[in-house]
Parts: sequence; C-alpha cells; structure tokens
Amino acid sequence: MSVYKHVYRAYDGKVTPVWTRVFVLARYGFAEAWSSKITIGLFTLCLLPPIVFLILIYLANNPIARALIGVRGPQGLNIDARLFLTLIEVQSWFALPLASWIAPRLITFDLADNALPILLSHPISRFGYVLGKFVALIASLSVVTWVPCLLLFAYQSYSSPLPWAAENLQIAGGLLAGELIWITLLSILGLALSSWVKWRVMATGAIFAAVFVPAGVGGIVTGVLRTKWGFLLNIPFMMTALWRRLLGAPESARASFSLPLEAIAAMLILACFLCAAMLNARIRAREVVRG
Amino acid sequence: MGIIDLNGLEVRLGNRIVLDGLTGSLQGQAIGLLGPNGAGKSTLINTLLGFHPPSRGTAHVFGLDSQRDRARVRGSIGYMPENDSFIGNMSGVRFVRYMAELAGLPAGEALERAHEALFYVGLGEVRYRKVNTYSLGMKQLIKLAQALAQGPRLLILDEPTNGLDPMARQRMIQLIKEIREQGSVRLLISSHLLRDIDETCDEVLILKDGRIAALCNIEEERRSNRSFMELETVGATEQFSVSIRGLGCECACFPGGRIKLVIPDHIEVRDLYVIASAQGVLIRRMNRRRDSLEDIFLRAMDNEVGRTAHVSL
Repeated sequence: MSVYKHVYRAYDGKVTPVWTRVFVLARYGFAEAWSSKITIGLFTLCLLPPIVFLILIYLANNPIARALIGVRGPQGLNIDARLFLTLIEVQSWFALPLASWIAPRLITFDLADNALPILLSHPISRFGYVLGKFVALIASLSVVTWVPCLLLFAYQSYSSPLPWAAENLQIAGGLLAGELIWITLLSILGLALSSWVKWRVMATGAIFAAVFVPAGVGGIVTGVLRTKWGFLLNIPFMMTALWRRLLGAPESARASFSLPLEAIAAMLILACFLCAAMLNARIRAREVVRG
Repeated sequence: MGIIDLNGLEVRLGNRIVLDGLTGSLQGQAIGLLGPNGAGKSTLINTLLGFHPPSRGTAHVFGLDSQRDRARVRGSIGYMPENDSFIGNMSGVRFVRYMAELAGLPAGEALERAHEALFYVGLGEVRYRKVNTYSLGMKQLIKLAQALAQGPRLLILDEPTNGLDPMARQRMIQLIKEIREQGSVRLLISSHLLRDIDETCDEVLILKDGRIAALCNIEEERRSNRSFMELETVGATEQFSVSIRGLGCECACFPGGRIKLVIPDHIEVRDLYVIASAQGVLIRRMNRRRDSLEDIFLRAMDNEVGRTAHVSL
C-alpha cells in the first residue's frame, strides 16, 4: 500500500515474536490508563503521603533540622516496622481508588464496542489478553505502592547513622511482598469486575463494593456469632494482619481476633480463583449459547 | 494442498452439532461462503480462527491445523467480523496500528501501514477521528483496514456489505475486487447476498444445516459455456423431468412447474417437445440462459438434506 498511490501491497517485513504481543496490550493499556486527567490527579494524590513520610525520615535522621523546627529529641520519630506499616496501609488504600479508576478503562472500552472478536483474532490468547491488561494495571499501581515504599526504605537506610538496613531487611521484603500481594489482588479483582460491568462508573463502584461490602457482612457475622472467622470476609482487616506479619510489626491489642496466616492466604487465593473464573467466563471472542 | 482443507470437520456447541462432517478443499483466489441463517457459516469462520475447537475432524489453513497451530494461523489471517467490533475510544489510525502491532508488525511499520491502509480504504481524511464518531459505512471500512494493515495471506470478510448504502456497497465490492486482482491475498467472503459473492468470488462453498450443500468453482462454471434452459410447464412436471433426465439432461425442478436443465450436445430441443407431447405436458415458456450463482444456490438448497453435492452443471 502507499498513501499516494492508493494500491495494496503485501507485507513482507519482519514479524515480532508471539510472546511480545502481551506487551503490546500492556503498552496500549498503560497509555489508555494514563491518558485520563483523573488518573494523573489520583496519582498525584497518591504521592503526597510518601512526601510526608520522606520529611519524617529526614527529621528523624537530622538533629539540626529537628532543632530548627523546635523538636528537641527523636521521640515520636522512631523509624521502625510500625512506621512502615502505616506507610504501607496508607499507600495501599490510596491505590484502591486508582485501581478502581484504571481497571474499568482497560477492559470496558473493549467490551462496550465488542472489540474482543477482532482482538482475539490476532495471535494472542485469552490468557495473553488478560495478562497484558494485568501487566498494565500492576505497572500503574506499582508506581504508587511498593516503588515509593522501597525508595523511602532506601532513603532511611542511607540517612541513618546506624547500620539500620541490615537489621531491618525484613521490612524491605515485607514492603515488597505485602504490596505485590495487594496490587495483584486489586488488579485481578478490578479486571474481573470490569469485565462483568460494562458501564465504567458502575465498575468503579463495584470494585469499592467488593472490598467493603463483604467487610461489613464479616463484621455482622463476627458480632452476631461472636467468632473471629467473620474477619475472613474483611479484606482490609486481613491485609493489615498480613502486612503486620510480613513487616514484623507488633501485634495489635485485639490478639483474640488474630487470624491464622494460612486462613488469610487461603481466602486471598480463593478470591483470586473466583476472579479468574469470572474473567474466563467473560473474556471470550464468541458467546456460545448452550442448547 | 488448498488454502483451506476441511477433513470431516464436526463442531458441537453444547449439545448441538453446528458443523457436521465438512470435507473439502478450497483453493480459489476468492472463496464465497453462502448459506441460509444458521447454516454454520460464522461457526466455520470461528473454527478456522481457532475460537471453536472441532469435536471431530480437522480444519487446516495453508496446511496449518486451526487448533494446534492457532497462533500461526491467526498470524496469517486478517479478519473482518460481521458485527461492530472496534475500540470506539481510539482514533482510527491508532486502532489500526494497535491491531497491526498485535498481528506482529513492529511499531514503526505498524504505524506506516495503518496510515496506508486507511488511505487505501478511503478513510485517510478521517483517520484522526475517534472510531465511535464514524458512520456505519466507515466502521465497515475501518474493520477492513485493520484486517489489511497486517498484510495477511488470507482475508476473511464476514458480511462485508452489511448495512451499507448502494454507493458504499459498490465501493466495498470494488475494494474487494482490487485486492483479489492484486493476487497476494486470498479471500474468504461470507455473505447472504448472492450478488456480492457472484461479483467477487471465483469459488463458492454453500452450507446447509451444517453440511456442505455445494462446492464449486464459479469461474469454471462460467467458462464451461454449456447450454442451460429454463422451462415453464403445466401438467405432470415431475414425470416429465424424470423422462428428460432419462435422455441424459441434468435438471432441477422448482415450484410452479419451472424446470431448469442442461442439455447435452446430442439432444435436440425437439426431443423435449416430443416427450412433453407424449406425456400431455404443456410447455408454456422456454428460455435459453447461462447459469447464475442463484441457480447453483437454489439447487443446493433443493438437494436432499445432508447430501453433499459437487455441483456440476
């Protein structure tokens, strides 16, 4: 083909490897997600807490700066697992609205205009399609979760006059693992719900609801039956318990409500399987009417 | 080896057999896929694309198994689906580029070919507009552009003239003819419109109830230049048609006493009158005419259900 000749010409150039097509989907998904001003706004908002924590770490390691603002001792500015637990909690909950906004943008545009038959007629499998969108979402959430957390950890390691990093490596591992688990759960949940709800605003609401409505139900179960197992429906509670253990932070006062790690892991895996089943049912080039 | 080889292909959707033992080799430059609603045309296309696994038999495209070598098969096919299928939020050029990159073109090449494809189909001036602002005809054209941009070996067009006004339809038919004449792309065109297939294809596969009702080369039929005749009769038409078959004529009966027949060289028209007179059949009209795709289609539909027939006229 040629723009000026208007004739068809066959393509005989080189072709990219099939496995790289996932990254084409991821690249276009990423671009789509970040083309929205709301995404930029939410991203900016998500970076505010790390700036606050950066200042705290700076003050904790700099006596002159503390003296200048009138803080006499390092009391209240202990940089430990507890502080990083607060950081991971804040960043994780800031990531929720970002995920709720981005995930529907990745899927619903394709579903609303019935693009799947064309997309999947190319050398890309259904798994590859979901993986591409998943990578785009994980990459978007990473920049507001484990990346700033680890950068703050690195800054604290650099600033601390003591050999702090070697003694607190568990925090770094916990930050990375804890945030990766969270954004994986958020991503797969976001994609699954977005694939079932074509209207983007509704999909955003559905993601919030999927996190908080079961938590409410779990609270009722816990209150009525006086059992701690109701918390297995409470994602915020489970994630906080998980992050606490991963970071090595002290347990909260309500130790009787502590859930076993195995139960938390099982629930999270179950949730991921459920979402995968939802995606498997929806991400198809053709609907087959059984009969 | 044909472009598409079907070997006892059976596809079940749920408990329903949608394609039932299709066997044949399609070798034309442009292959028409005809059949009434529910005949299995779209299912066959979806099976070739690897969307539906065969429950029995195989389908090969360029010698590659449609299931086992799915990625390679899809890499060589450009597909224009029947229904609306696009990403409305993207500009035309971005959408076509995206599809070309998914097909395996490097980003730079994909962008270049996206522009070229859009100009080629006549959407050059609107390529920066979002796809959801396009008219129905433009949406059909952008589906064609995305299928062409990757430079496929086989172009599958599912109802390409659906919903187009006469001018847009003519433009689409002209594009398909140009692509066929260029020669580097094979075409598989599914359509309800016999005229579209007649104008663009050189081979036709007619499906009925999931079976092959006819598979023939239209070009050969056109070239054969044999003598066709259309009769309108009153009286014992069935018995009359049996008798003229006895003479060696091939014939098909239609409601209203209409008979279409091919007369071998050694038979004279006078012989028909003799039989008609003997059986008390009145011949009210007699036209000599060339066979059309419509005749092939109607005869295939008239065939006994499930009987695979290679139409030869």
